[in-house]
Amino acid sequence: MTVEAIVGPSARRRVRRKRRRREALIGYAFILPALFVFCLFTFYPFLHNFKLALYQTSPYPNEPSKFVGLHQVGQVLSSTQFLQSLTSTILFTLMVVPIGLMLGLLLAVVAHRKLKGIGIYRTIFSSTVVTSVAIAAVIFGTFMDPVVGLLPWLGINPTPPLLENPTWALPAVAIVTIWQGLGLSFIIMSAGLQSVPDDVLEAAEVDGASPSSRFWHIIVPLLSPILFFALVIATISAFQSFGQIDLLTGSNSAYLHTDVLTYFIYQNIQGQAPNPGVASVLSIALFLMTLTLTLIQLRYVERRVQYAR
Amino acid sequence: MPAEEFALATPAHAIPPAARLHPKRMRKHRGWRAVANYLALSALALIVLIPLYVTVVNSLLQPNLIAHQPPPLFPVHPDWSAYSTAWSEGNLGVYLRNSAIATTIIVSGQLITTLFAAYSFAFLEFPFKRTLFILFLSTMMIPFEVTLVTNLATITDLGWYNTFAGLTIPFLATGFGTFLLRQAFLQLPKDLREAARLDGYGHVRFLFRVALPLTRPTVAALAVFSFLGAWNQYLWPLVVTGDNNAIRTVQIGLKQLQATQANQINVTLAGTIIAAAPLLILLIIFQKQLVRGLTAGAVK
Amino acid sequence: MSLVRASGSIIGTSALLLGLLLGIGAGSPASAAKAPSQCAPSALTKATKPVNIVFWESMSQANATTLTNLTNAFNSMQHAVRVTLVQQGGSDVTWEKYQAGLSNGQLPDLAQFQDTDLQGAIDTHSILPVQTCIDATHYSTSDYVPEVLSYWKVNDVQWALPFAVSNPILYYNKLAFTKAGLNPDQPPATLSQMIADAKALKKAGYGTALKLDSWHLETWLATADQLFVNKSNGRTGRAAKTAFNTATGRKIFTQLDGFVRSGLATTNPSTGPTDYDNLLGIGNGKYAMTIDTSAALGTIQTILSGGQYPNVKLGVGPFPVLSGSTKGGIEPGGSALYIMKGISPDKQAAAWQYITFLDSTQSQATWSAGTGFIPVRMSSTKTAALQTLWRSNPAFAVAYHQQVAGITTAATSGSVIGDYSDVRTAVLNAEMSMYQSGVSPATALSMASQQVNTILASYNQRIGA
Repeated sequence: MTVEAIVGPSARRRVRRKRRRREALIGYAFILPALFVFCLFTFYPFLHNFKLALYQTSPYPNEPSKFVGLHQVGQVLSSTQFLQSLTSTILFTLMVVPIGLMLGLLLAVVAHRKLKGIGIYRTIFSSTVVTSVAIAAVIFGTFMDPVVGLLPWLGINPTPPLLENPTWALPAVAIVTIWQGLGLSFIIMSAGLQSVPDDVLEAAEVDGASPSSRFWHIIVPLLSPILFFALVIATISAFQSFGQIDLLTGSNSAYLHTDVLTYFIYQNIQGQAPNPGVASVLSIALFLMTLTLTLIQLRYVERRVQYAR
Repeated sequence: MPAEEFALATPAHAIPPAARLHPKRMRKHRGWRAVANYLALSALALIVLIPLYVTVVNSLLQPNLIAHQPPPLFPVHPDWSAYSTAWSEGNLGVYLRNSAIATTIIVSGQLITTLFAAYSFAFLEFPFKRTLFILFLSTMMIPFEVTLVTNLATITDLGWYNTFAGLTIPFLATGFGTFLLRQAFLQLPKDLREAARLDGYGHVRFLFRVALPLTRPTVAALAVFSFLGAWNQYLWPLVVTGDNNAIRTVQIGLKQLQATQANQINVTLAGTIIAAAPLLILLIIFQKQLVRGLTAGAVK
Repeated sequence: MSLVRASGSIIGTSALLLGLLLGIGAGSPASAAKAPSQCAPSALTKATKPVNIVFWESMSQANATTLTNLTNAFNSMQHAVRVTLVQQGGSDVTWEKYQAGLSNGQLPDLAQFQDTDLQGAIDTHSILPVQTCIDATHYSTSDYVPEVLSYWKVNDVQWALPFAVSNPILYYNKLAFTKAGLNPDQPPATLSQMIADAKALKKAGYGTALKLDSWHLETWLATADQLFVNKSNGRTGRAAKTAFNTATGRKIFTQLDGFVRSGLATTNPSTGPTDYDNLLGIGNGKYAMTIDTSAALGTIQTILSGGQYPNVKLGVGPFPVLSGSTKGGIEPGGSALYIMKGISPDKQAAAWQYITFLDSTQSQATWSAGTGFIPVRMSSTKTAALQTLWRSNPAFAVAYHQQVAGITTAATSGSVIGDYSDVRTAVLNAEMSMYQSGVSPATALSMASQQVNTILASYNQRIGA
């Protein structure tokens, strides 16, 4: 016996309307904290970029900016440093993402066995997840140091040294990034492998399928949704790489071709004479790149994922 | 923090197994295969471990031995002073504390805002709900670096430069977390909410007494990724903290350590071990839960 | 229904509006109280209680301790002024925090900025030139080391008082010199001599380290009395074009090019994890010579004399000048003390009192003896503290003597550039392309010149000059 049944239809509608209004208010109230943070720290700054990009900003906060319209945008986007930064970002991503994912998958497959002591190996493989890019960069920076590092002793001693070499600096930073990401990559792929039924793999093994064909024809297709998402997220993450570049090549990054877009943006907001106008143009470029790549992946890669299913 | 977005898995496909077993052949293969497996595992483990091993070794060497060619591969006379120097002169104790404070604020802030928002999207009806939810999702498409320029200006204007507020408040919400948690909430039985409402459960009580415990794996996964992301943050702390000790986090502390101890490489490397230690301990303790959270959080 | 819709949109847009409002606030000039442009020392005598001032300093470790001791002494020996030190841990940090402070109002009363931030400090229009205090108190500057004082003088206005000054010197391994048949007490005095010595050292199995620091290049120009940028190195007007694309500049680049490409010298960057490699290499016997800042002397001596490096006996010599025939000078570097404009007169007077204390004869003697920085006053060298130190450890006197031995011109006083760090990066990039990509010295030099011109023009345009 509800209130409405006793009181009558119009009262019922009124009560319902009141309840719906209350619920809506509560609904808004519940999302308000998150929404507020997003508005102030995500949407507003994102939109503000479009305004700042049109202004030539003074290096110091207490001087006015000058409206220059699209002139600055054109200037930045056609500058050699921007084009090189763009190239570095793309090259870096192409190095880090496929190798990182494949290595993680390889580690996961190799550790996906019921062998004695496999737990130790699994812990070792996931161990880099406790390192940050900063920790990895300091470790490898010492590793690659031409005077005190291990690499010269191992024979890897190019002139100029790795981290001062415009040809090899970017691959070196990529290797550091791949190593640091191995732990997480392994954990994700392992988790995905858990859902691949063991009896399927065993049956295939018994049927005489080679390890590689088991890998490519069973594991990869079954894992393809995870691989796809990992691909998208790893790509976005690669675009956001910063710490290792700051620590390994620092202010020489432009010369060493390791100034990926995020570092280029950082150089324009910190330092002696910050340039927020230029940094905004670069931020918009970074956003468009991320969006484009994600859409491409969503369109082409997901289709193949659908087939595999 | 993109790491959390990995926590999605594939539904299992069952393929009817064929069945034929040759015991003898399997046993011989198994022995030989096991050796091959151990070799492969060890080789890969070496690749992962060598940088860490070299770091630990070098952190225990005396400075003159580090520059020695060939570099020693085992510390015959371990010198632990590098660790105490890194801790005291490098202020790593303070930096670890600052990281802990900042991370706690971010993780709890994210969990709270996400719990409420996800609950609202999953259980409540209000106008523009769909639009607002898409708005939440769209934040995943805007990397933090794109908002850096203006966020720095905003934080500076609010007077939050070099404060914990400036360090943490921009990160108190997550679009992907809301998506994931809403998903988990939507999988709860529909009548559960009705039954609770009839029992007199208000929204908040239902959220924390019923919904949260039932989706604990997802929440735990979110907490883990949130923690990892917050602890390992580099760019934002670099940009928004300038003070020496009061607020610097351990990641930036490493950069500071490297700059000030440049010639004392053992101290710098000891610093990296100290900086990695908290997460390492947590990983060892919570390894099972971590993996379980990842898989369970993805179960549809 | 409509009420709910309205409240929904209100909540949404209010969040956005709040953000926009804050955005309007961003970028507008900081509203300063009517700032006095005259230093009034009498304001301090009128004060009835102690004036508290905050000093943002950029020292670290042992040097920070020495500064703290000096400041404590100052605080206890008089009661009119109380100084609070805030250690920023680095000159870059101090500058960045200062810029943040320009928009959020968290500013100190005086600050220690590094040499390359001079033009920037002037352009923020927030600094009170110490010249006004000098004029108001008839402060005598004749005792200052001329080049050191003139570094911070632009358009005949003294903007800051020098404090922690250093210059580049030659570090070498005396034992290696002996082994190569060279006189260990006669380090090379010119760049050509350095290259010749490097050849002999190479035969004995030692290399030479060349740190990629644009400061060294600028110092070589200074030793030949050659300007770096126009308008007298930016001192009689805003620098707008380079002045180093000359025969002298080409001579430096050509010599360095031969030095490195012949394998006699190895380079390492001046930032990043390998920035100490040149000095580390002396320790482990890889290098026998390198040029680096005199400010590192104390640290290096401590490390190398610890008995762990038996094959190294550290020698220190003056910076090898470009040519023995031209009379030039050594470009000083380091940091200076700036007083803020927007603070009350009594705080400005208090700050002036403090910095003149730090630059007094006795303080500079203590400071130099404790840190290895060059004393900014010539009379400090006559004090017991420095005399004792220099007698027992002559290496510490090298930087000072080469500083006073030079002539004082615009070229030897260093340049004043707004976006100095980008300029230095451009010069270094050209230098590196010369070493690594085989670009000819003349081409590399003009590349550097073009790049720097662009940077100068862009900065001047943004300043509205």
